[in-house]
Amino acid sequence: MSAPESPTVQLSARHLTRHFVTRTPGKLRNDKRVVRAVDDVSLDLVKGHVTAVVGESGSGKSVLARMLARIVKPTSGELILEGTTIPSRAKRTLDYAAKVQLVLQDPYASTNPVHRVRHSLERPLAIHGAARGNIDALAKAALTRVSLEPPERFLDRYPHELSGGQLQRVSIARALCVQPNVLLADEPISMLDVSVRLGILNLLRGLCDDEHLAVLYITHDIASARYLADEIVVMYAGQIVERSHGTALVDEPTHPYTQLLIASVPDPSDPTSAATRGESPPIFEVAPVGCRFAPRCPHAMEICRTTDPPNFQVGDGHVSHCWLHADKPEAVVEVALPERRREGDTTKR
Amino acid sequence: MTDPLHVRDEREARDSAATNTVDRPTSSEFVLEVRDFSVDYGVGSSMVRAVSDVSLNLRRSSVLGVAGESGSGKSTLVYAMTRLLRAPGVISAGNVMLNVTDDHGNALAPVDLVRANEKELRAVRWSHVSIVLQSALSALNPVLRIGKEFDEVLKTHRPEMNKTQRRERAETLLTMVGLDATRLDRYPHELSGGQRQRIMIALALALDPELVIMDEPTTALDVVTQREIINQLYELRTRFGFAMIFITHDLSLLVELADEIVVMYAGQIVERASALELYEAPRHPYTLGLLNSFPPLHGARRELTGIPGSPPDLADLPAGCNFASRCPYVMERCHQEEPRLTALEEGGRSVSCWLQVSGASASVPVELARTPRVKRAHPTSEEAVS
Repeated sequence: MSAPESPTVQLSARHLTRHFVTRTPGKLRNDKRVVRAVDDVSLDLVKGHVTAVVGESGSGKSVLARMLARIVKPTSGELILEGTTIPSRAKRTLDYAAKVQLVLQDPYASTNPVHRVRHSLERPLAIHGAARGNIDALAKAALTRVSLEPPERFLDRYPHELSGGQLQRVSIARALCVQPNVLLADEPISMLDVSVRLGILNLLRGLCDDEHLAVLYITHDIASARYLADEIVVMYAGQIVERSHGTALVDEPTHPYTQLLIASVPDPSDPTSAATRGESPPIFEVAPVGCRFAPRCPHAMEICRTTDPPNFQVGDGHVSHCWLHADKPEAVVEVALPERRREGDTTKR
Repeated sequence: MTDPLHVRDEREARDSAATNTVDRPTSSEFVLEVRDFSVDYGVGSSMVRAVSDVSLNLRRSSVLGVAGESGSGKSTLVYAMTRLLRAPGVISAGNVMLNVTDDHGNALAPVDLVRANEKELRAVRWSHVSIVLQSALSALNPVLRIGKEFDEVLKTHRPEMNKTQRRERAETLLTMVGLDATRLDRYPHELSGGQRQRIMIALALALDPELVIMDEPTTALDVVTQREIINQLYELRTRFGFAMIFITHDLSLLVELADEIVVMYAGQIVERASALELYEAPRHPYTLGLLNSFPPLHGARRELTGIPGSPPDLADLPAGCNFASRCPYVMERCHQEEPRLTALEEGGRSVSCWLQVSGASASVPVELARTPRVKRAHPTSEEAVS
């Protein structure tokens, strides 16, 4: 295992916020509402680390990934790529795309069905200025990196001829072939068959460990986040509600929402899990007063309905956005992760 | 014969007194009996056998889980046995006996779904057997309000009900699945994925069926919503006592919900056992692989591998065991002879693997020889309804 000596932050998000303006159907134009998809999210993607973002549908996790890829422009906040601040209004550039690549959920929808795999791989190479003579070799190398071997067998296939798992590997290869430093993976396994999911997770882990990529792994499956990630971040209604290094957040969840997420995972070894119950579907707080989770929270107190909680330090590198931990010191979140790698972990990775 | 569908008067009374539906006198122990059932896609030289020689029985008020990867034939099996499969799917062998009762609990003549004509099928569908599809968004008509969907079903199958009664029934059903009755005036796009799936469940239960088929009803939903829906289903099942066939690739979900699980691979049942036994003591290497494909929530983190390789091409199946090329315990015999689903000595379960055949030359790997704890995570269907 070859962890980098000191954590190198590849990409930072500072106070990223994205609001979408909507109109109520059937009403006149002046009835504008603001959906706070992502609200004041700060995040560091570190070389050789997987950062997992966990949340339900509508928690803003995909919007966050798209802002990091600069497909969606933030309403406010800034991105810092390798120490250089990028103003939120600046246009997305080719240089940025060469450093930060995004892998999407459904590989059948994110590859062009009328083009061969070769096209999907060679086109980004051509756009990013690879020498024409090298393109074929680079495309093959990218397929080898994602364990699609021999690459010749896959280059001239069409997407429908590949299985979901193979095609997801192709889309990871497509992201890798421009040699990015940051890989953003938005629910890369949720559309895949159970038996191939682990293969993709292990591939992402390998890219991280062996090639020192910074990986952002977005998921709604907290068990897979625990399996893969060095840092786990839980999002609810656009905010980070709990974050921890390693598995602390899953092993000892401190935020009621994280507790709900964990209780919802089917877990036959725990007979009590079936008895736990969610309250009502998630809601977008249009003008949030107090904690966003308060309406669903079993522990909601008076203060939760009036004041948004600050972040409390509940453990080493473990931060909870909840008034229940008001006795703990307030946390300063914007620090790069200290060195910690899978303590007590006996894997052969 | 008068149509049994049109003589239900005490329906409202039944809904309010929830318990009296579950002790229907029964003609047969099983609501569904499937024998030597095979399904092909296409005919002649291009024929592919998607489901091969499947036999199973579904006990009344019990939950059967069907697990397997994409392409394992789990959906094909269920669509074919309810005669919902479209061409080029062809049922090539077997029969499917449906033993249902009328409203008063009197047994009706068993229906062979494979040989039933359109009229007979129409009498059975929805009122006795209903289905919940995976994608609620594509299953609901986008230009109809939710209320209209309920109205149409009830109008067709319960012509004796008037408009007010139909509306009331629809409101009852919506409340039953935990939704506000005002949702009846909404269009599908105005509802969230979880709400739409609840509507689908309410629709499936509209005529109080004895068998409900769930085709991956929670796959498109996130975990919290999935948990809510599963709890709701469990509650409804306990209350109304319908039998369920639940198709999913999520084995850990099935272990919680189902009484019995069949695991399918390449169109065949490779293992069947009670849910807890299957979870705690799998006997087929494929089942073990599926169980190991889910990262655990507890314990030390260790590298998991899932199942190497990919499912075989059904058009070009290997000689011997279909799973041999992916199996970590493969033996010489696996490449030559095809194992058959055989009942195990420990009773109540069967598996299709040479490792488990008594007198097999190789010793059984320890992972496939565990003893299950004698404990259930939730009450069995018999306990639940009594």
